[in-house]
Amino acid sequence: MRNRLFFDFPLLISTASLMIIGILFIYSSGVTSDGWVFSNEYIKQIIWAFLGLGILTALLFFDYNRYRDLSSSLYIGFILLLVITLLIGKRVNGARSWLGVFDFGIQPSEFTKIATMLFLAHFLESRKNSIQKLSTFSISLGIVMLPVLLILIQPDMGTALVYLPIFFVMTLVAGARLRYILFLFIAGMLTIFMSIFPAYTEMLLHRDLVFNDIISNPQYIMIDIVALSIIGIIAFIGYRWLKKGYYYWIIYSLLILISSLLGSVLVRMVLKDYQMTRLIVFLDPGVDPQGAGWNVIQSITAVGSGGFSGKGFLQGTQSHYRFLPQQSTDFIFSIIAEEWGFLGSIIILLLYGIILIRGMFILLHSKDTFGVYVGSGIVAMIFFHVIINIGMAIGIMPVTGIPLMFLSYGGSSLWTGLIGVGLLLNIHLRRYSY
Amino acid sequence: MRTAPVGVWQGRIIFIIVLVIVTFLGYGTYIFSLQVINATEYQQKAQRVARRVIPIPAQRGKIYDRYAEVPLVMNIPSFAVDIIPAEVPDADRNRVYSDLAEILGIQTEDIRKSIPQRYHHLYQPVEVKSGVTFGTITELAERINDFPGVTWHNKPIRKYLEIGPISHILGYVGRITTEELQILYNKGYDINSALGKSGIEKQYDEILRGKDGERYRTVDVRGRSVVDSSSLDVPPVNGKNLVLTIDSRIQALSEKALGERIGSVVVLKPATGEILALVSYPWFDPNQFYTDKAKEVFTKLSLDPSFPFLNRAIQSSYAPASTFKVIMTTAVLEEEVFPLNKRVTCTGELPYGDRIFHCHRKAGHGSLNLAEGLAESCNIFFWTMGSEYLGVERITEYARRFGLGVRSGIDIPGEIKGLVPSPQWKEIQYNVKWVGGDTMNISIGQGDLLVSPIQMANMVAMVVNSGITFVPHILKEVRDPVSGEVLETVEPKVLQTSSIRKETFKTVQDYMRGVVSNGTARVVITTKAVDVAAKTGTGEVGRNQTEQWSSWFASYAPYKTDDPDEQVVVAVNVEGTNEWEWWAPKAANIIFQGIFANQTYEEAVDALNLWYLRN
Repeated sequence: MRNRLFFDFPLLISTASLMIIGILFIYSSGVTSDGWVFSNEYIKQIIWAFLGLGILTALLFFDYNRYRDLSSSLYIGFILLLVITLLIGKRVNGARSWLGVFDFGIQPSEFTKIATMLFLAHFLESRKNSIQKLSTFSISLGIVMLPVLLILIQPDMGTALVYLPIFFVMTLVAGARLRYILFLFIAGMLTIFMSIFPAYTEMLLHRDLVFNDIISNPQYIMIDIVALSIIGIIAFIGYRWLKKGYYYWIIYSLLILISSLLGSVLVRMVLKDYQMTRLIVFLDPGVDPQGAGWNVIQSITAVGSGGFSGKGFLQGTQSHYRFLPQQSTDFIFSIIAEEWGFLGSIIILLLYGIILIRGMFILLHSKDTFGVYVGSGIVAMIFFHVIINIGMAIGIMPVTGIPLMFLSYGGSSLWTGLIGVGLLLNIHLRRYSY
Repeated sequence: MRTAPVGVWQGRIIFIIVLVIVTFLGYGTYIFSLQVINATEYQQKAQRVARRVIPIPAQRGKIYDRYAEVPLVMNIPSFAVDIIPAEVPDADRNRVYSDLAEILGIQTEDIRKSIPQRYHHLYQPVEVKSGVTFGTITELAERINDFPGVTWHNKPIRKYLEIGPISHILGYVGRITTEELQILYNKGYDINSALGKSGIEKQYDEILRGKDGERYRTVDVRGRSVVDSSSLDVPPVNGKNLVLTIDSRIQALSEKALGERIGSVVVLKPATGEILALVSYPWFDPNQFYTDKAKEVFTKLSLDPSFPFLNRAIQSSYAPASTFKVIMTTAVLEEEVFPLNKRVTCTGELPYGDRIFHCHRKAGHGSLNLAEGLAESCNIFFWTMGSEYLGVERITEYARRFGLGVRSGIDIPGEIKGLVPSPQWKEIQYNVKWVGGDTMNISIGQGDLLVSPIQMANMVAMVVNSGITFVPHILKEVRDPVSGEVLETVEPKVLQTSSIRKETFKTVQDYMRGVVSNGTARVVITTKAVDVAAKTGTGEVGRNQTEQWSSWFASYAPYKTDDPDEQVVVAVNVEGTNEWEWWAPKAANIIFQGIFANQTYEEAVDALNLWYLRN
């Protein structure tokens, strides 16, 4: 007979190890090459970690099903908090994303992820029987897009992006129709492509391609849409008369194209120049080696120069000569990789791997759908943070400025991660209780 | 495994698990390639970025005259302003350039030109202006926050204390050009190097420049030094000082003696080949190349029709005219083709073929032997010698034996060869046969024969030394810049030895003395300070008779001595563009007076009673 209070220790220990490594390297990032400690971020991080563990523990005392009942109020509460942040928030790195007094502040956009997950899980569960309907899918999308839009206004593209995998994974697990999910996914990718490609070729090749006009010139876009719509209407009539399945997929594809076109127009309006540049730089850091590409190149250099076993703790040159920007937050993986080498990198990947795989098994053993939905959202969130952040440090993902959960300096992200782990542990703990 | 609750798609969860595992394996592999397979490449890159080398400029060596007391060229303190291109934010680039240009008083375009687009990621400072005063640097320092990426360093500028024709000897220094850098890159020059562009500065650039030191800095992203790497510093090796053979006193004397006449003077010590003075007029002031107006000055000088950049003493050649009769005389004596007491009668004209050649004295010189022919510079005499007794082959052979037609090897760049024509040469050059008239022409130093003043001096040296010449040189010693210790002394190097008998030369010396004691130079060489031996030359300029005459004077003194060390050769050329005043021998007269009576130009003019030069 298993003990009801038997924790999922691999999950807990991996999380704790990551936090400790995080604190070590936040310390390292605050030391200059001659040994002077110029930053007390590591002390703050220790405080955040203990407080976070407290929150995690507190969460375990209540059955996670209680949070279902709270989910709608939490969701509304955090949406309001996001609005307030937009109005009176503090600007950090260009985004009005902070809410707080004096030095202490939180990023509501982080915690809103949890609230949104809970609320979306609650909603999906309530629509269990009509899960395949478009209306269910649309409302789910609406639930997620509301905070996303508020965060995009801040503007904090990186954090807003995290909501998308959460949405995709949760609806996927809940059983929404694949064609809806694929529609959004493909349309999203195409939108990004159409938004960036013209600017990218212009920056790289210094010439205009005819194709660029087709997808970026407003007049052409009008013509595109009209043409696509006409084809769509004909296909629609055909579908009505002949009831042939391929007419459905023609309309499906056309709709993807039209929405991507409109989406790219919107993206170009919303995206700031520097964000556009960052996306382009991701495609080719060499475009602007001293400007936007600098971070990526320095980070890759730091990682690569670490070698197999690293330069040793506190011995990294790229970090201690401050070639690496935002070492304690966005680029913490680069320092670890530089100072601990390939071994360190693998340890980090393994620890995250344990968390994610354990998380997935917890889902499979959850006693109810709410637990599965919430858990899948949490796994999606952590997974996305890891692949985007590490990918950015090694140069295969765009620089979006999202932190590496548990490792990066910052209370809000750490707490969000710990709350997530707390919820997973909670689901695990109560897998037998009905 | 229990079945999941209703509404959970287990297959999709497993798909996500697989996705996570595959992604992580992919990441692991990629990181492996970065950190293990390609580690060395990134390690080198990391080193490169973090360590920066800043050159510590070496002091360029000073240049002294032969007495090594007061420098002719030295360095005066000054600054150079640099831009580290990568440290100028792209957004500010235009503003920084234009503001900096304003403070420095240069054009924004100039800065842009020295920092092309491809330099924008460079952390190596690029110099935008040198010769910046301390005041300007203070102004910059006060507003340094407005000038990201702008730095400066000590860069003494070259100061030429003696200006005048001596600049043809000294040359000047300028910033290396891209083309020059391509050639010299392997010798340790870089884009900021200064390079001697002419004269001694160019010839001995590698001795003068020294070796820049290196200051190592390990820097962070803002270029701030983060650790003390001074143990790696390499101190600069200052350039060595040069002591020239030039005697400032004789140089000044010769410059003034030539005055503002287009032409040149060579004063040579035949016993060693040392150049005591080398004058070429007009001249340029190299100091102006270090001012703001450098470009304009340079352009103006380059376009000046009198070619002030031309060092006429070594870079111009002229028909030697009657001075060539020295060589003719040597040939006649050595070949014994014409007995010393045999005579030629000059009637003032000589029919040859269908032409009539005229002597410079229309009435004719009457009956002349060889000594008198040279003394009176009788054309008819030497035409007869050339066409009837020597022939063109022997004449050109003797010209070559005196070093004509080849470079003397003087140690300033740009020397020309001159020309000794020959029948073969004429056929190749003009596809025309050598005719008797050509032999007539060459016999009196006309026609295509071309001689530079330094070759003229060497010709005389050959006579003085009785059959040996030394490579003319301007560098005397290389000295240590600190201790003054002599590191290297230039020893005389034989240029040519001649198989001509010593007695022949002795006779030529006597005959040349005759030119001064009772020949053409008698009236102008009035100095009593020393016995001069010489040959005059008057050349027609241009083929049409424009009444322009260039004037040569090839001479040496003392005429006879037991101490060859005190002998000097003076070769003067005054170009035909000047007003005719037969200046070459007059200038030499003053120079000899000055040298041997130890007088300045003014004293010499007084002593010689040259009333027309007194103000």
